[in-house]
Amino acid sequence: MDFTLTAEEETFAADVRRFLRDHPPERFPLDGMDAGYGSGAHSRAFLEALAGQGWLAMCWPKAHGGEERPMFFKLVLMEELARAGAPFGPLAGCWQTADAIIGFGTERLRREVLPEIARGEATFWQGYSEPDAGSDLLALKTQARREGDHWVIQGHKIWSSHAGISRYGLVFARTSREARRSRGFSMFVVPNRTPGMDIRPIRSLTGEVYHYEVFLDDVRVPEDLMLGPEGEGFLALLNGLDADRFWGRFYKAPALERVLRQLVDYANATVVRGEPLARNAVVRRRLAEIAADIAALRLMFYRAACLLRDGGPITYETAVAKVMADETGQKLARLGMDLLGLWGPLREGSPWARLGGQISRLYLTSLGHTIAGGTAEILRTAVAVRGLGLPAEPKGR
Amino acid sequence: MDFRPSPAQRLLVSTARDFLQHHCPIELVQRLALDERGFDEPLWRSMAELGWPGLLIPPALGGSGGSLIDVILLVEEMGRACLPGPFVTSAVAATSVLLTVGSAAQQKRLLPALAAGERIATLALVEESASFDPEAVALDCDAPGRLTGKKLFVKDAHVADDLIVLVRGGGGLSLVLLPADRAGIVRLPLDTGSGERLFEVTFDGVEVRADDLLGPAGRGRELLAPALQAGALARTAEMVGAAQRVLELVVEHAKTRVQGGRPIGGYQAIQHACADLVRDVDASRGLLYAAAWKVAEGDSAEADVAMAKAYAGEACLRVARRGHQIFGAISYCEEHPLHLFHARIQAASLDFGDADLQLETVARALGLG
Repeated sequence: MDFTLTAEEETFAADVRRFLRDHPPERFPLDGMDAGYGSGAHSRAFLEALAGQGWLAMCWPKAHGGEERPMFFKLVLMEELARAGAPFGPLAGCWQTADAIIGFGTERLRREVLPEIARGEATFWQGYSEPDAGSDLLALKTQARREGDHWVIQGHKIWSSHAGISRYGLVFARTSREARRSRGFSMFVVPNRTPGMDIRPIRSLTGEVYHYEVFLDDVRVPEDLMLGPEGEGFLALLNGLDADRFWGRFYKAPALERVLRQLVDYANATVVRGEPLARNAVVRRRLAEIAADIAALRLMFYRAACLLRDGGPITYETAVAKVMADETGQKLARLGMDLLGLWGPLREGSPWARLGGQISRLYLTSLGHTIAGGTAEILRTAVAVRGLGLPAEPKGR
Repeated sequence: MDFRPSPAQRLLVSTARDFLQHHCPIELVQRLALDERGFDEPLWRSMAELGWPGLLIPPALGGSGGSLIDVILLVEEMGRACLPGPFVTSAVAATSVLLTVGSAAQQKRLLPALAAGERIATLALVEESASFDPEAVALDCDAPGRLTGKKLFVKDAHVADDLIVLVRGGGGLSLVLLPADRAGIVRLPLDTGSGERLFEVTFDGVEVRADDLLGPAGRGRELLAPALQAGALARTAEMVGAAQRVLELVVEHAKTRVQGGRPIGGYQAIQHACADLVRDVDASRGLLYAAAWKVAEGDSAEADVAMAKAYAGEACLRVARRGHQIFGAISYCEEHPLHLFHARIQAASLDFGDADLQLETVARALGLG
């Protein structure tokens, strides 16, 4: 056992902290909403600054312009960025897409898209969900038909994060009718300005735009923008979803640590009925309890990280960690709202707003976390069936 | 970062699991729970032959010089088997006290015998305040002097040869080491219902000699701290092992119990409950290993230990309660093993500091004023 970072990882962490001191993250312009996952807002400028350090491609093979650094460097980078509250929103998606392209992408994707990712220019929206295909992803209706050396996509995607400000969509579509429901799907990397694509914002309950819906009306995509083997997109996606759960939530624990620190400071500085909030026994207990939850959460992700690094089998570990991340985040947001009381709902920019109005925003955005990327229900079922070997419920059709 | 036990540790774990499966089946646990003494002498001797009580003790004093992580992994297996008895009290907590503060003479006299399982030692810390906070101790005693008063919740006092007693004296707190049969010491059993053997120990003008003192007088609080940490971690390991076993029993039941034409584990209500048990056990274990590792490395780990114990106490009790719900009526029977694991987790969650005490430690570490 060993619960420390290696000397190289520690050195890299210090490099990242130095970078953040030299480039205060709050000075970067933001392009898209922070949905509260811990990776902050969408900021192309910040992504490009990371790229300038060579950090976007650092773990890729040398043949693709990388430095072949170990995967844990990505964890170190994300943890430091999350602790600092930096706006690295699209980073995890960029890395996942890059890994998929390096793993089974076409020559064109490697030649054109990878360098754009390395430079911090390319970000991606996920075109998975549809109006009638949420948790039951296989019910999706978007289709792609072959026409010469192109695929023509027809369909309607929804809940695509940052779609309006990304460069590409990762569109999941049916490419053939197969006997097995899970076969016959493929994935496409579709440039955002392709004719026939209509991207419309969806205003969220915070009043900002995070999600979009995308109408695809005979969108023509060159065949070498298909990502992965034709018809096997679902299996690729499943691996992707396990990774998605991990990389989409790894930074939640350090981000929650940051919020907890703010709440501790607030409790120390706030006097209620003649006594600092921090002296209130209930407040002390709730803050201490959630500190333990967050510490446990961080270790759950590091355990999954070790399995990913060592090639150990992942059956349920990322699913259970994701549910825990999102429910812990909701618990912390709720606690924050309780501590703030009447001040809680005051938004950023309002007179008298406390803690920058960020707690109510965290409270609201965290409602979406147990839904996005696999609902807590779907994931608990996955833990039970894949992890514990309990029998799957009979299918409804 | 690496969560895997070493090959030697894996061997220790598999040996322990195998041994306990054969020598501590649940039927024995059930019998001992109903037995007045609750202590199986032959089993204790077999454990001693495996060297378990000497795991923390250096080879020069008859032990095998293992680390705290080794002990934690072993105790996790003991929790899995719901092994009753004084192992944590004697071989972890009391042994830690002697290792930390015992004089050369005290160590030489006691540690080889503890390592061989020939002696058993226990801690008499808590009083009517019912708190493991050393500051709550009021019992006065100087060494040399006389000790009059009582300690409560003293575990396994009936089988103990030696008592380590925390007293107020020497301008602070002091530790004294008394043979359990010294004149004036009376051990009165409490009826716990948890299977734990807890005692009220009364001292009636008991003679305390100068050389009964453990470590310098007045420094009991800091001298005791490592043993309290080791005890808290060991009881956390016991909870994690017991909760792991509950999870396994529950999953087995969910796969085989058929209602409405299919196994109940095929219903989402049961599946989702089981998924929560996985989270509770895994998260508790992560905190436990990380805290034990930090202690074993000699780093300051007060808050880590406190978090691990508080978290596991709540999470593992949740596992036990939910286990009852999933098992249904059958688990309400005395002959069903679930209540034994439940009671063990409950008892362990209170020993060496309950959630209240641990979370206050965490709160201070967070910087709450």
